Amino acid sequence: MPGAEKHLRVTFLVAPAYLWLALTVFLPLAVMLFFSFLTAVPVGGREATLTLQHYVSFFTKKIYWYNALRSLELAAYVTLACVVLGYPVAVILTRMITGRAREAIFLMIILPFWTNALVRTFSWTMVLRGPFDIIFTYPAIVIGLVHAYLPYAVLTIYVSLQAIDERLIEAARALGASKRQAFMRVMLPLSLPGVLAGVFLIFIPVTGSFMEPRILGGKDAIMLGPIIESQFTATFNWPLGAALSFMMLAIILLMLALGYPLLQRHMER
Amino acid sequence: MRFLGLTYLGAILAFLYLPIAIMMLMAFNQSPLYELPFTFDLVWFKALAGNERLLTAGWNSVWIALVSSAIATSIGTVAALGLARNEFTGKRFLQLMLFPPITIPWLIIGTAMLIFFFWTGVGRGLHAILLGHVALSLPYVIVVVGARLATHGPELEEAAASLGARPAQAFFRVTVPLLAPGIVAAGMFAFAVSFDQFIISYFLAAPGTSTLPVEIFTAIRKGFTPEINAISSIVIIISMSLVLVVSRFYRFGGER
Amino acid sequence: MKMTINRRSALAMLGSAPLLGAMPRLARAAGEIKVLNWQGYGTDEKWATEAFEKATGIKVVHDYFNSEQEMLTKLRTSPGAYDVVLINNIYVMDAAKEGLIQPLDTAKLSNFGDLAPALRDSDRFVQDGKHYASAWVWGLTSFAYNFEKITDKIDTIEALWNPAYAGKVGMRDDAMEAIQFGALATGQDINNPADMAKIKDKLMALKPQLKTFWSSEDEWNKLFAAGDYLVAVYWSGSASRSRKAMKLPVQFVVPKEGAIGWFDGLAVAANAPNPDGALAFINYMIDPSFYIPWDTNVGAPASANLKAMAGLPEDALNRAVLGDAEVVKRVQWMAPVTDQQRQAQQELWDEVKTSFAQ
Repeated sequence: MPGAEKHLRVTFLVAPAYLWLALTVFLPLAVMLFFSFLTAVPVGGREATLTLQHYVSFFTKKIYWYNALRSLELAAYVTLACVVLGYPVAVILTRMITGRAREAIFLMIILPFWTNALVRTFSWTMVLRGPFDIIFTYPAIVIGLVHAYLPYAVLTIYVSLQAIDERLIEAARALGASKRQAFMRVMLPLSLPGVLAGVFLIFIPVTGSFMEPRILGGKDAIMLGPIIESQFTATFNWPLGAALSFMMLAIILLMLALGYPLLQRHMER
Repeated sequence: MRFLGLTYLGAILAFLYLPIAIMMLMAFNQSPLYELPFTFDLVWFKALAGNERLLTAGWNSVWIALVSSAIATSIGTVAALGLARNEFTGKRFLQLMLFPPITIPWLIIGTAMLIFFFWTGVGRGLHAILLGHVALSLPYVIVVVGARLATHGPELEEAAASLGARPAQAFFRVTVPLLAPGIVAAGMFAFAVSFDQFIISYFLAAPGTSTLPVEIFTAIRKGFTPEINAISSIVIIISMSLVLVVSRFYRFGGER
Repeated sequence: MKMTINRRSALAMLGSAPLLGAMPRLARAAGEIKVLNWQGYGTDEKWATEAFEKATGIKVVHDYFNSEQEMLTKLRTSPGAYDVVLINNIYVMDAAKEGLIQPLDTAKLSNFGDLAPALRDSDRFVQDGKHYASAWVWGLTSFAYNFEKITDKIDTIEALWNPAYAGKVGMRDDAMEAIQFGALATGQDINNPADMAKIKDKLMALKPQLKTFWSSEDEWNKLFAAGDYLVAVYWSGSASRSRKAMKLPVQFVVPKEGAIGWFDGLAVAANAPNPDGALAFINYMIDPSFYIPWDTNVGAPASANLKAMAGLPEDALNRAVLGDAEVVKRVQWMAPVTDQQRQAQQELWDEVKTSFAQ
């Protein structure tokens, strides 16, 4: 029975990872999801009743939807910058450099990954203060975030590009395609999975970021991330914080749902 | 063209390393308030040598990152394979379920884990941190390996199968070598995610023990002295050396 | 002839002196205690914990929090993990009601009688005749300025809104504090301001003034030293530390409009593994032998212990400013707020911050 055997095999393969996620992330988040429908956390004699008020307030209170848009806008800028800056790096690495040099440079790009993000961000405050003095502004936040996430883009795009068979490009050129055509119609589509992986891994965390905005943004720092955070650190309003987070998740999933069909077509070609 | 390319690469590297260079510079600067002018002094490294708390935390971070990235990379790669090579009901759902761990701010996940682990008796401590780190790295691993699998397609494996290879053979002799760069990349991601993770670690650390990012995070409150720069510099030098050593034996860059 | 006793050993000797005589019961309380506090807020001073361990055999292990909500979360989710907890007075009764802290056996605190009665027996700490926390330190939240760069004497809170200091003003990103400042500046009660709209406008007017927010004393010091702050909101104890330990030209001001007063207490967590050890530590913390070196060498808020305050040098900030009755008259003391009030404050502050970013 090939069907059942396949099912068994698939289950066997995905089970460990998803079981782990279920027990350590999904279940706790399910509890948070439940909280998001309560008026208050049922602790310390507080009365908690079911309500949609937190979700509603996302739409009715400007501080929430406006800052959600700000976060999405920030994520868009950062992701775009990372992909635009990172793609050429990956191309140069795969096409122009070979052997030991390629490895060395690849590692050098990845290494900043392993410095502590906080220390890096604080170091940025020194650089941005220096001759440029754009510290505590919106551009400073973008710079800090691009710096943090650029290696992600390079890494995922590189991994994808590197899998493309040279000969496909050569063949296209041999058949008369210009360099630009070879790029647009062969390389780019084949590397799309890598680009998308990068977009996924950059856009989403940036929407929730609160460290870089707070350290680099000064009074321009307000984003949804810090607002959510203050529901946990300043007020004891976990239900609201949870509701806002799940709203962001819903928005991102919605964007994915809308964008996916477009991407499907692009990739299948 | 090549010159342009290399200049661009150089510019990007300069951008990436600018704050790191500053960070390392300040580790050798005398001023505790990060003030210039620069006076060379090893005082922070000496302070670090006596800072048991920071050193233990650093060590905890390293082994937690190693263990969690090993676990995450293995079960994540396997999961990515299951997702990529098969169509089945619920596949879309499983793919979507990778979103929450990355989308929901870590602060929420951390608080949720804290409560949940408290209720289920798991409690706080290094074991809890490990559980959390693997979970956070998994989506990254699955996505990165998945991207590699998507680019490759199953043709080579099918070709191997049609030539008579058993599934296990096809797996080890075709799939794994093809995937290798993706797996290594995923492993690096996982290591970085774990090593840098401070929010979840902060919530799940037991009183008295902690990891390096948590120490840095709490030190910011009190006194962000360049001892932090000193240990960060050491970490980066050690990572660089480790990676260079490993790359003698394994080529990350792929065949060419 | 100079004796080669370095400062550390001297402090250690000072610190351990009273303990050596005071507590015969300590033999039973040996072992370890876990303290939950802000980082760098007295209880983790190395010379103090070393002296304490030397005198009692009890090792002091610390865990820290970065916000009061976090402190409460830690208490709720880690029963039996802590012995001593620092709690701001406005949270003590809530914590007691939730069963997170236990009443103190004040008979075991030999210094208890020396605490200022107004603080010690405040209804923020006492319920049904039982003390749930020992008053420890108190201080003011006001602002400070760079007296090297600003030579005029500043005595009004309007300094924060003075266009001459545009782009050089600092504040903490804290809703409650911001609104309290707004209340002071508009002549209202900080705990129950009648006109929130007026406060909101006042705060929004800070937009051209603010350089950035600070969230820790250390960040404040760095910004001040870099010249980003000329005038900034600050705490009295921290101002003392910045001036003394960091040698920064900080002048703390209690303007004619007033300042915000707060006081902190040390409590024993419910299910504390070592309650006797906890009490011994608390007693040491309110002892002059800890407080005087702490304020003199490091810098601290004012002590609730009258004897300790009397032992300070005349020119100490805590004595000169906080000991001045005229100044204290201008202080408005922080009061507990309900969850709803806190939520309303947070929303108002988020609106103000959003207006800053537009």
